[in-house]
Amino acid sequence: MGAKISIPVRRIDAKEKAGGWTKYIGDYQFKNLQHGRFLRSERARAKIIEIKKPDFPEGYYYIDASDIPSSGKNNIQMIKDDWRVFAVSDVKYIGETIAVILGPDKQKVLDLLNQIEVIYEDLVPAFTFDDALSCKGGAVYGDNNIFSEYLLNVGNVDNAFKDAVKIVEGKYETGFQEHLYMETQGLVGAWEDEKITIYASSQCPFYIRKSVAVTLGVPVGDIRVRQTTTGGAFGGKEHFPDVIATPLAVAVNKVKKPVAMIYDRIEDISFTSKRHPSKITIKTGLDKNNNIIAMDIDTLVNGGAYESSTTIVLQRAILHGIGVYNIPNARIRGRAVATNTFPSDAYRGFGAPQGLFAIEMHMSHVADELGLDSSDFRRKHFIKTNDITITNAKMHDEVKLPEMFAKIDEMSDYSSRVKKYTDDPVKGIGIAFVNHGGGFTGNGEQAIIKGVVKMKRLEGGKAGLYVSVVEMGQGLQTTMRKIAAKELGLDYEDIVYDNPDTDIVPDSGPTCASRSIMVVGFLVQECAKKLKAKWNEGVGVEAEDVYKHPDELIWEQETLQGDAYPSYGWGINVVEVEFDPVTYEVKTTGIWAVWDIGVAIDEIIMQGQSSGGVIQALGYASIEKCELKNGAFMQHTMADYTIPTSLDFPKVETCFIDNPYKYGPSGAKGAGELVFDAAPPAYAEAVQNAIGKRIYDIPVTPEMIMGALK
Amino acid sequence: MVDSYRPKDLKDALSIRAEYNPQPLAGGTDLMVRYQSWSGTLPLFTKSVMFVGHLKEMKYIKKEAKDKTVTLVIGGTATLTDVANNPDTPEVLKKAVLSIAAPALRNNATLTGNICNASPAGDSICALYALDAVIVIEKNGGSREVPIMEFITGPGRTVLGSDELVTAIKIPLKASSVNDFTKVGTRRANALSKLSFTGVADYKNGRIDSIALTFGAVGPTVVRSVELEKKLIGLSGSELKARIPKVIDDYSTVIVPIDDQRSTAVYRKKVALNLLEKYLKELSSHE
Repeated sequence: MGAKISIPVRRIDAKEKAGGWTKYIGDYQFKNLQHGRFLRSERARAKIIEIKKPDFPEGYYYIDASDIPSSGKNNIQMIKDDWRVFAVSDVKYIGETIAVILGPDKQKVLDLLNQIEVIYEDLVPAFTFDDALSCKGGAVYGDNNIFSEYLLNVGNVDNAFKDAVKIVEGKYETGFQEHLYMETQGLVGAWEDEKITIYASSQCPFYIRKSVAVTLGVPVGDIRVRQTTTGGAFGGKEHFPDVIATPLAVAVNKVKKPVAMIYDRIEDISFTSKRHPSKITIKTGLDKNNNIIAMDIDTLVNGGAYESSTTIVLQRAILHGIGVYNIPNARIRGRAVATNTFPSDAYRGFGAPQGLFAIEMHMSHVADELGLDSSDFRRKHFIKTNDITITNAKMHDEVKLPEMFAKIDEMSDYSSRVKKYTDDPVKGIGIAFVNHGGGFTGNGEQAIIKGVVKMKRLEGGKAGLYVSVVEMGQGLQTTMRKIAAKELGLDYEDIVYDNPDTDIVPDSGPTCASRSIMVVGFLVQECAKKLKAKWNEGVGVEAEDVYKHPDELIWEQETLQGDAYPSYGWGINVVEVEFDPVTYEVKTTGIWAVWDIGVAIDEIIMQGQSSGGVIQALGYASIEKCELKNGAFMQHTMADYTIPTSLDFPKVETCFIDNPYKYGPSGAKGAGELVFDAAPPAYAEAVQNAIGKRIYDIPVTPEMIMGALK
Repeated sequence: MVDSYRPKDLKDALSIRAEYNPQPLAGGTDLMVRYQSWSGTLPLFTKSVMFVGHLKEMKYIKKEAKDKTVTLVIGGTATLTDVANNPDTPEVLKKAVLSIAAPALRNNATLTGNICNASPAGDSICALYALDAVIVIEKNGGSREVPIMEFITGPGRTVLGSDELVTAIKIPLKASSVNDFTKVGTRRANALSKLSFTGVADYKNGRIDSIALTFGAVGPTVVRSVELEKKLIGLSGSELKARIPKVIDDYSTVIVPIDDQRSTAVYRKKVALNLLEKYLKELSSHE
């Protein structure tokens, strides 16, 4: 940790947030505010026969697809536009929006909602991978329930398997995960200056602008989106706010009054997207020297009833499918399936955690099958700089995994503890190695986003920063200021960076994909350099910078061949556990993390990312059970959907290894998702070492451990 | 439309209860959750509500001695924090109470409320069953005392009449040398129970003189079998040790849990029996 920029500063929003002064969407005052609530499907798959409505008193409205202007359409333009704004004639999942009920008095809105009766004719729903693949009840999507399918291949897998002296197979499954951001979903649509303004707790103001414009059939410039301080998101406010914003905008367009759509907690857990469940089968062939010569992977992710971003999630899952290893002959088939579950969507990691969990557990199982040390076996197969990746490109990163392993081994005493716990009846330790591609897949930053940032010299020696990426708890309001201030030679507090407003800031792209610092931060750094050069032209002088993809990176999107990501963050986690043979509960006794994120823009903020990401991932791996019962989430209260408390896990001992990236600000790479990736397999391996049985699925519940020990 | 009442004292409360039969609300930590509605609207109470948490006459914890028995009397509005902080609170009850939710909730929630909520997963109830707690019930012009096992008749159901109030809980303070309360929750704090177990027992002259074994969240009410406990009275430690497999067998017929969103029937039963076995082994080594 040597870079000067890494020296921590006080977060710009620390005082305001700790003091409780920050205004969130629910705190805003609007004159003549109307309250909206959704009429939602109570069936997973059904025809709507009839909707019986009471008489609506004056000032109360029932808004549905018939209220969409003729220029618009009943589609939510996300990555795909298959998700309907309002369900018409049939419903595809529990919670699907049928209508918005709105009016000035919440109780009356609720009473009206309760008087509405929807008559359904039930159809046979599909919930599981097996249901989807067998097209139970008829295809939910297309003619085969496959949203998308890919095949990645390097080398010659079939020939290599012929030479294998040993073959090991395993099937790995992961479940839904709820984001449980502190602030629930919330948007207010207002009619201001003869146009629609959406105030939104969101990650991507320009996504909302685009989807609302398409739904209403108006130019994007006719829609204004203002981000309100966002109390956590984790991917849950990437696309999902579009699902609220579009029906909300239809309502505002009709009533020309401000309308609030703010979710209660139970509503939020019950009726928002979750992380994609996955089922991944891996077959590995080994030669007589215990080297992996072939690997065949079959990856399934459950997209739910609509595709939304599922195809991109599937891409990440398979692009991270062989983990940090150099496998000469590897093949990955990936399929995203449609079911009648709530549509799955973005969640920190975006498919990578699923792929990485499977490959890490599998590597551990192969080592176990061979009677080898799990870490030694994995380290022997580490990918190195210039090795060929699963997308037939060279690994451009300087891979520092060996150095990082030495560091974590020193911190955690991993190697000696592994030996010590071999015969221990209750203790175990596990390790996992991961990487995470920063930014959009392939050339997406160029082909899809083309991020723009703007800066301006202001009065009083200050500079304005205009970007569309948002603070959502990750510290961006502070780190972006540090990046700009460094180039301008100003104090970070002299950079003005307000919550983005699409009428003011250029589109620098969404706040996701571990791109904010690496991609947008680099543009900010370059833009600040330009502004510095013009600084003496006086107050009001502006500078702009536009994304340009590095020339040396090539990409073929249709076949997913070439440089899958501009760069990778790298990580190793070690987790130590002790299990209770009476209750089968697991106590975590140690957590260590070493990361290569290029350079940390602020060491304390990055410690926060490490601790938060690791603990969130440990929740996913252990207690965050989210099951379906007839298509509805069973754990839909905070009492039943449990996330870790400070008593559930000890402190995360974190270390950063510097490895500057030339296209990152001060050398920084993506970090926000990487920190989620390693803990689940490290935890599961620790538990399997403690109980002496292999773990294939997460969450690893006490119930599952009891079953394994039978 | 429901009404709300705020009586000035216990007498007033009993009169209101007799006349209008409102739902008593002390800390509100269960009821406000049960009847929650869209935030910004009123909770969906199905009947009128009478606030009782402020009634000072019931905000006490005291010891009463009569003949040779000492009884801890916990007033109807004593909070879980009051119970946890009282030096005379039996160890298992203190442990049970501290396993409930978080400090902020325990400062508001009352022990009486926890009992009247009558959840099979009520952590304090599991301990109170083992402690032979007695519920003191009052109404205008009368009172009665009912053992907790008879007070609770099913999930959310009690024998409390619509004109009655629970005004105190009496716990006989008996000698008890081997005590255990274990809660298996969904996480380490602020968690609801998958199951809970309480064991209290005492030896006299090397033989088991008293024993109570209770199980929470494994049936429609807390499970306690006085019949099976009787079979253990009079045993020495080594006799108990030899008997453990038989005891586990006996209990496996009375513990009949269900699957729900928190755990599975198989897990609940197995872990309940594991906790029983662990406790009995510990007990058998004491004598």
